[in-house]
Amino acid sequence: MITTHRFTFYTVLVSMSLVLTSCSSEQDSNEESKAIVLLRGLPTLDTNHSIAIVALDPESENFGEILQEFEFADYAMPLHHLYYSPTGRLYATGLDPQCSLAEVDLARDASGAPVINGVECIDTEGQQVGEDIIWHNVNGTDYMIVSFMAGTGIDQSDGGSIGIFDPQSNAVLRIIEARKSTVGEGDPYIMYPHGLSAYGDRMVVTSTIHADLATGVGNSVTIIDLNTFTPIQTITIEDAQPVGFPSSPVEVLFLRPSIVAGIEPTVFVNTMFGFETWKIPYDESNKSFGEPEIIYSGVDEGTGVPLEFYGNDTELFISHAIPGVVKRYQLSSLPELVSSGPDLEAGLGAHHMIFYATESGRQVIAIQNNLLNLGNADDNDPTDIDFIAKVNDHSITVHDLETGEKLATVNFKERYRKGIANVESLFGSGFVHHH
Amino acid sequence: MLNRLVKKTLSISAIVIAIIVLGGFAYIEIGSNRATPITDFSAPFVFGQFRVPEDNPLTDEAVELGRRLFYDVRLSGNNEVSCATCHRQQLAFTDGRQTAIGVSGKALALNSMSLANLMWGPRHFFWNGRVTSLEEQALVPIQHADEMDQSLAELVDELKADSQYKSLFSVAYGRITNENIAKALASFQRTLISSDSKYDKYLRGEATLTEQENLGRKLFVAHPDVKASLRGGNCIDCHSQFLTSGFNTLYDGFSNNGLDSEEDLLPGLEEVTQIRAHRGLFKVPTLRNIALTAPYMHDGRFATLEQVLDHYNEGIKMSSTLSPLIAEADNSTKGVVTQASLNLTEHEKTAIIAFLHTLTDRQFIAEEKFSNPFD
Ligand code: HEC
Ligand code: HEC
Repeated sequence: MITTHRFTFYTVLVSMSLVLTSCSSEQDSNEESKAIVLLRGLPTLDTNHSIAIVALDPESENFGEILQEFEFADYAMPLHHLYYSPTGRLYATGLDPQCSLAEVDLARDASGAPVINGVECIDTEGQQVGEDIIWHNVNGTDYMIVSFMAGTGIDQSDGGSIGIFDPQSNAVLRIIEARKSTVGEGDPYIMYPHGLSAYGDRMVVTSTIHADLATGVGNSVTIIDLNTFTPIQTITIEDAQPVGFPSSPVEVLFLRPSIVAGIEPTVFVNTMFGFETWKIPYDESNKSFGEPEIIYSGVDEGTGVPLEFYGNDTELFISHAIPGVVKRYQLSSLPELVSSGPDLEAGLGAHHMIFYATESGRQVIAIQNNLLNLGNADDNDPTDIDFIAKVNDHSITVHDLETGEKLATVNFKERYRKGIANVESLFGSGFVHHH
Repeated sequence: MLNRLVKKTLSISAIVIAIIVLGGFAYIEIGSNRATPITDFSAPFVFGQFRVPEDNPLTDEAVELGRRLFYDVRLSGNNEVSCATCHRQQLAFTDGRQTAIGVSGKALALNSMSLANLMWGPRHFFWNGRVTSLEEQALVPIQHADEMDQSLAELVDELKADSQYKSLFSVAYGRITNENIAKALASFQRTLISSDSKYDKYLRGEATLTEQENLGRKLFVAHPDVKASLRGGNCIDCHSQFLTSGFNTLYDGFSNNGLDSEEDLLPGLEEVTQIRAHRGLFKVPTLRNIALTAPYMHDGRFATLEQVLDHYNEGIKMSSTLSPLIAEADNSTKGVVTQASLNLTEHEKTAIIAFLHTLTDRQFIAEEKFSNPFD
């Protein structure tokens, strides 16, 4: 069932010696401030995709240092997003058709330092281009649920699937597929799925963009009934088209009482090309979704390409790739967006983030600034992928959560000739999930 | 001529360095001796970071030496008691007695503690946390009149007379000293890692829990929240999720879990910190292999896990230092609370006990590397 991928001995040796050279100085630093990142080899720079452990304490001398790196010499495309399961297992979705979903084998060496022992690709039964993962319990059973933007074939013009996995064995239990061309006119469909969020027996999945970033763009979210694992409603989320594309809903967050005490469950959706955040009310008594409504307009506010939702105990954070900011809101005021402070000025492509404390106890947020290595086509930069705007700063910026001050920046492209595709806490706050 | 010699030396040292690097640093220097960094080591990622003292890195030789010392009755004054007398592998390194008995034959005041996963959890050892390293801990029972009653000077002389110990010490540490005896015992104990229970296999995705065990697991990790209809046993508030031991920051791993009322509280952690609010606080022990380590609590007052669950469910004694986590945890939906109680059902208590049984690690108690080398 499971296809194992073993990496070259050479890679292992190289990373081993990296660990050994760094661990002695690392012994006393706080582990919470180490992150695990997915790095992307860049065109013409002759670098490989990899997964790496990076020191991110801005107060430490080794800030920005790669402590261990595990390279994938034979993948055309990098891994995409990292997620910890509730039992502490680390997973990654992947953009390469050879490895659309993987489990990362983490262990500890005799000095206590974390080590990446390997990466095992999981059999997805043909589903390609993994995006998001959530773990959810329905009617007493735990599931691992994964969106595959290219579904059962990147060649399909309206593809996309949701894989339901056994969270223990990683085996596919079922595949939810409902291509527009195969369902009846007006019936709910799943196309280019990306964002996932669930509450009780209802899951919302977005329709974003064809995995080749060219064939088509979505403009809706679809509700899945998790009792039957079937799509039951597709809701259009679209208004202005500031760049002439469909709205491209990307991440979704089902706000629920476990996130905000006492809240009426509500769905938030970011539209990548609509530049908006939408709110869809949910009536739990009859399980119906209300009229979607724009609660944030990037056209009005001067931002574009909103991406992720993250939260801590007091705030909700939303990243906007253009101009590279993270906006912050009071958690207790949700579902109204009430600002809780000035924007965090990150970098072009502001995207994923993690929260931790520095050695001296300062609470910080680290923001990864890059979306798919997309650059402005007009720049004629051979190291990026042409797009309408530059959203690939390839940095991680670290900001003081209280003052918002930018404390430190590591630019992976300048320092390592690689892009930065994703960041996740290594341990500690890493078990906080962002959907 | 001189030039060529220098070049040659340089290239030889380059080769030597290359060999060392390529060999994965096969040798490290400790004092004047060469010991091998531990070869067969792995620890679960989820247990978290641990620290090995820089002046006592884990080496194969130190661990082997420590294992011998741990099982050697010569460490006691009457040559009858070893560490393993009170820390038996088949009982997950406890002794099955209410309170331990050593050379004097007199019952000690306290219950012997399990020795598993000692690199994690509170960085303080003993029930009251009075020592802060395994090195410091090791010499305590040796000299204790009721435990092993051995003078360290005598012990060093005894070991020096043994050629096998001489050579083991020489490779591992150099000389035979009190300090090196302690270091070796600490090294062996650091390798006592229990991570192959059914629960570990569940965490790794290699096993599934039964419905009852899984209910127990969920109750173990949940703090009850009546408003959200969440039932919980609250255990994780003190016994951390993966290790089941107490937390490691400062004294977070110590608490008063309601065993005694105010007038009967023993000093506990207060003895160490001299802080009144620490009266009656004891180290939160690991629950790994708990089904093997009866009787329970610092004084071994409970013979069974049923009694332990009854305690948490309906036997909590109030005192000024009772943990607020226990005082406020309640699953009851009705009325005024007069007595701290979890109000779990029989069915739920049994489920938690079933979960506790998944913490038994048969591999750990059978592991050859941890067993008596004199057998
Ligand atoms: C006579 C029985 C006895 C002997 C012999 C004995 N111990 Fe213990 N051990 C105990 C008891 C009882 C405790 C708890 C004592 C306390 O808290 O004061 C304990 C506690 C410990 C602890 C603390 C564990 C923790 O989690 O805090 C360690 C480590 C330990 N013993 C190691 C050893 C070593 C090493 C030896 C041999 C040098 C040894 N013991 C010999 C009975 C014994
Ligand atoms: C407030 C913190 C706290 C909570 C909550 C808590 N424990 Fe404990 N537990 C302790 C402490 C402290 C001890 C040691 C007490 C002593 O001996 O004085 C202990 C001891 C035990 C022991 C005996 C261990 C041994 O080696 O003797 C068991 C078994 C146990 N707890 C199980 C549980 C279970 C099951 C739960 C949940 C129903 C739970 N505990 C909740 C703090 C806690």
